[in-house]
Amino acid sequence: MAVHSERVQTQSPEPGKAVVASIETRAAGGGAKGSAPKGTRSADGPGLGSRLAPYLLLLPATVATIALLGWPLVKTVLLSFQNLNKRQLVLHLTEWNGFDNYKEQLTDPEFWSVTGRTVVFTLVNVVLIMVGGTLIGLLLNHLGKKMRLVLSIGLLMAWAMPVVAATTVYSWLFDQQWGVVNWVLDQLGWHSMADYNWMSDQYSTFFVVILLIVWQSVPFVAFNMYAGLTTIPRELYEAARMDGAGSFKIFGSVIFPSLKPFFLATTFLEIIWVFKAFTQVYAINAGGPEKLTRTLPVHAFLEGSSGQHYGVGSAIAVLTILMLGALMAYYFRIMIKQEDEL
Amino acid sequence: MKRQLIAAVGVAAMVVGLAACGSDGKKDDNAGSGSSSAAGAKNYSGKTLKVWLMSGSAPKGWTDAVKTEFETTYPGSKVDFQIQEWGGIGAKVTAALSEGSVDVVEVGNTQTAGYAASGGLLDITKDKANLGGADWAANQNESAILDGKQYAAPWWVSNRVVAYNKDLWTKAGLTDAPKTLDEFYTDLEKLKATDGVADPIYLPGQEWYTYFGLLTGEGGKIAKKDGDKWVGGLSSPEAQKAFETYKKLQGYSVTGPKDKDEATPQQKDVFGKGNVGAMIGLGWELPDEKTMPKDKIGFFPLPGKTADKPSGVFLGGSNLAIASQGKNTDMAKDFLKVALNDKNEGLVAAAGNIPNKAALNSQLTGDFAKAAQSAAAVGGITPNTPNWASVEDNPNPVKDFLTAVLQGGDYAATAKKYDDEIAKRLNQKQ
Amino acid sequence: MRRSLFGRTWPNVIAVVLFVFFIFPVYWMVATAFKQNNDIISKTPVFIPFNGTFEHFTTAVNAPNFWTYVTNSLIATVGAVLASLVIATLAAFAIARMKFRGRKSFVLVVMIAQMAPWEVMTIAVYIISRDNGMLNSLVPLTFFYMMMVLPFTIWTLRSFIAAVPKELEESAMVDGCTRTQAFVKVIFPLLAPGLMSTSLFGFITAWNEFPLVLILNKEEGKTLPLWLSSFKTAFGNDWGATMAASTMFAIPVLILFVFLQRKAVGGLTDGAVKG
Repeated sequence: MAVHSERVQTQSPEPGKAVVASIETRAAGGGAKGSAPKGTRSADGPGLGSRLAPYLLLLPATVATIALLGWPLVKTVLLSFQNLNKRQLVLHLTEWNGFDNYKEQLTDPEFWSVTGRTVVFTLVNVVLIMVGGTLIGLLLNHLGKKMRLVLSIGLLMAWAMPVVAATTVYSWLFDQQWGVVNWVLDQLGWHSMADYNWMSDQYSTFFVVILLIVWQSVPFVAFNMYAGLTTIPRELYEAARMDGAGSFKIFGSVIFPSLKPFFLATTFLEIIWVFKAFTQVYAINAGGPEKLTRTLPVHAFLEGSSGQHYGVGSAIAVLTILMLGALMAYYFRIMIKQEDEL
Repeated sequence: MKRQLIAAVGVAAMVVGLAACGSDGKKDDNAGSGSSSAAGAKNYSGKTLKVWLMSGSAPKGWTDAVKTEFETTYPGSKVDFQIQEWGGIGAKVTAALSEGSVDVVEVGNTQTAGYAASGGLLDITKDKANLGGADWAANQNESAILDGKQYAAPWWVSNRVVAYNKDLWTKAGLTDAPKTLDEFYTDLEKLKATDGVADPIYLPGQEWYTYFGLLTGEGGKIAKKDGDKWVGGLSSPEAQKAFETYKKLQGYSVTGPKDKDEATPQQKDVFGKGNVGAMIGLGWELPDEKTMPKDKIGFFPLPGKTADKPSGVFLGGSNLAIASQGKNTDMAKDFLKVALNDKNEGLVAAAGNIPNKAALNSQLTGDFAKAAQSAAAVGGITPNTPNWASVEDNPNPVKDFLTAVLQGGDYAATAKKYDDEIAKRLNQKQ
Repeated sequence: MRRSLFGRTWPNVIAVVLFVFFIFPVYWMVATAFKQNNDIISKTPVFIPFNGTFEHFTTAVNAPNFWTYVTNSLIATVGAVLASLVIATLAAFAIARMKFRGRKSFVLVVMIAQMAPWEVMTIAVYIISRDNGMLNSLVPLTFFYMMMVLPFTIWTLRSFIAAVPKELEESAMVDGCTRTQAFVKVIFPLLAPGLMSTSLFGFITAWNEFPLVLILNKEEGKTLPLWLSSFKTAFGNDWGATMAASTMFAIPVLILFVFLQRKAVGGLTDGAVKG
């Protein structure tokens, strides 16, 4: 779900601009656009009142953020240092146990295999999403008006589909007995797939999950890629073509450099989203078969909530947040650096 | 997380119960609790007792009868029954116990020790006699005791039997119930070849209760204590023998998915479609009267390898316990007294579940009960240790084990892996 | 141009294939929802439901507690969106129009909050809700959904406010309005389309939320996504009813989304032109 909210952010109200463009102006803190009126013009009168005004306006948002986001974050950290199982939960006991939960996780081969799996899972998804999205974006730019509209409608539907509804539909598409995918494979001559149970194997389960995520994420990249392409002046292409550049050369020498900020930002956003994707992985097969499709967020949930080891689950959550934090720090550094260049 | 249609049925039944208030409650007052005069002194007026029951547990009419009787005995009081689903029940009950948002809770016999050790259940050792505990069947009461203290009252136990579709069996030319597993296999073959049979037997791969029964029948244990450490028992020769039988049986199931349990989808819904020859289930897992009339369903215990005794069964059951953090513990004790009196316990027996007192066994009625009772003698229960409950937490290693080997995993390696997981969960600290 | 026929045809062919790839799951959901049962459970899939039926929709709507879940979803979602709209408008106005110390830090916090890892914070939220005796209640859901959509709402509104020409506001003040009056009389009306589309996006986010409600609420406290995710238990192997439920859940979102795709871009320019 959060995937949606963040994607939605890129529904930038500035028409015709690539997502990065709007993110940058935002990163610049409103910079030129949002510059404030001169204080003296304020009819509320100068002085303390008007100097306090912005803080008063920000107060509700700040309080909400501290209470509803800051506190759960701090609480996660606090819980990760506690021995909090059934007994402690029922009797409201607080038993601090220092770094025990972390020691347990960091020496647990399962934690590391889940971490490794999450990294590979993220990489595979992001590569597919970026390559697929870029190619489809180029295609959109290449198509005539009518076909572009047709393809856009398809993309939009996939993008807008609520995640839980999408996972349900994919379960149906890949159903062992009556699923249309098995039927198609059978018709194509792959008869051993006629009655195949996709959820029975780690890789085939991952195949379904990855297909689902890529299917839902590609449209975002494609649309933004297309929007970005429309901002590149025609003359640049023509100049390149005069020099005898082929399609690949044009992509390398014209498109990529112009849209480099777009690629960087989008790649990082996708990495972060896929890394913390929960609903798709959980709702398709709950980390099964045999725990083999657990990624970090799912692992934290299953250990912490289903297994009722809330302290241990929180420790996994904190470790996940730290990894995400590193990714995000890098992302923001890129954003801010680019802003300096421009 | 899992949700079953039956919850709504339960709620509907409660609403009907409200309308029927006052008529049959009175005459049972004396017969039932006997000490209602003393109870009259207590005033629970304006108080509501929250009772959690598991989906399918309470026999038809039981909730109505108990509610009516309690509310007439203690005027002004209310009993609020809430029906819970088994899926993810561990975390749900723990949360409710910790919040004090429930007063009386039905706990599975395999999970009682776990909740007791968590401190969430009230010690009712002193009240046992008052609740009629002197007559409780010892083998049932065992699961309600931890470290010599009574943490729950036994309610009923039951075990799974084969339920079969009489019409389809007749169609397949079958008359007698099979006496041995081999006969049963032959019957299933015949069913399979019969027109209109989509599946001779519906048996999803994760029906671990059936596997557990077979394991018990082979004389094996799912886990045992070695010194002060628990070790898993899936690697034992008995477990492997039990698995061979289970695998063969499951192999006859055409539509039963290897990676699902009996609740997803509810096997009673599958069986209720009328094109399934048989299933292995509990009394409450039968389709409702409208879907499939009772007289269309026959029962027999899962036969054994030889005709002298049936296959082993898992003795599942439920206890009623009082939440220690609840706000109405006295009221809850009086509730248990009403709920477990001979009249209401008789309703449990009449529904085919084995009641908590041997004296009431005579009230067992129905073909299901007969079949179930004959197999109960070869029944077994999971280790009575606080951590057993966490073995049943999602993902249940026994279920995962079954799926893995049914799908072709190497027996020894897979058994070792899940024995380790079982041991890890049984040996964890609280 | 001097492209060959080959060069002109291929992109269109690929586009059609891709169109089918992206639309098919959505189509299949709707088509299955309308199919007769024997067309659903058929060894050869029926691709177009010629003899359609509404039977599955009836099954889904009559499922236990269906209307409870609809109400739960609506209360939590609408409550969250309205609250965040009020809070965000105030904050967005400050960061779009005022200069003050700490403004940049606030903007940065909003950006980070936008990416908050809610998926792994659920355990803490669960414990917090438990400590306040609010499991299975709509209150924490509404509050936390509000927080989930707040950063995005601030973001978008900030851009909308910044896009309203400052001169409009200033001339209103010259005419003797106070700053508050100027906001209410000039900016707010221009903001209406922005508020509208922002809140609809917030609505979609909260409407789809799954991880948090999964840990917090059970039974009667469920919302639609949680109900839908347990379709196997709810409907057994009744794929028709499952797809009908999915369709009812997804269609409002799909329609809103298509509508917003235009509105988000169109609304602002309209406002500015009119202004």
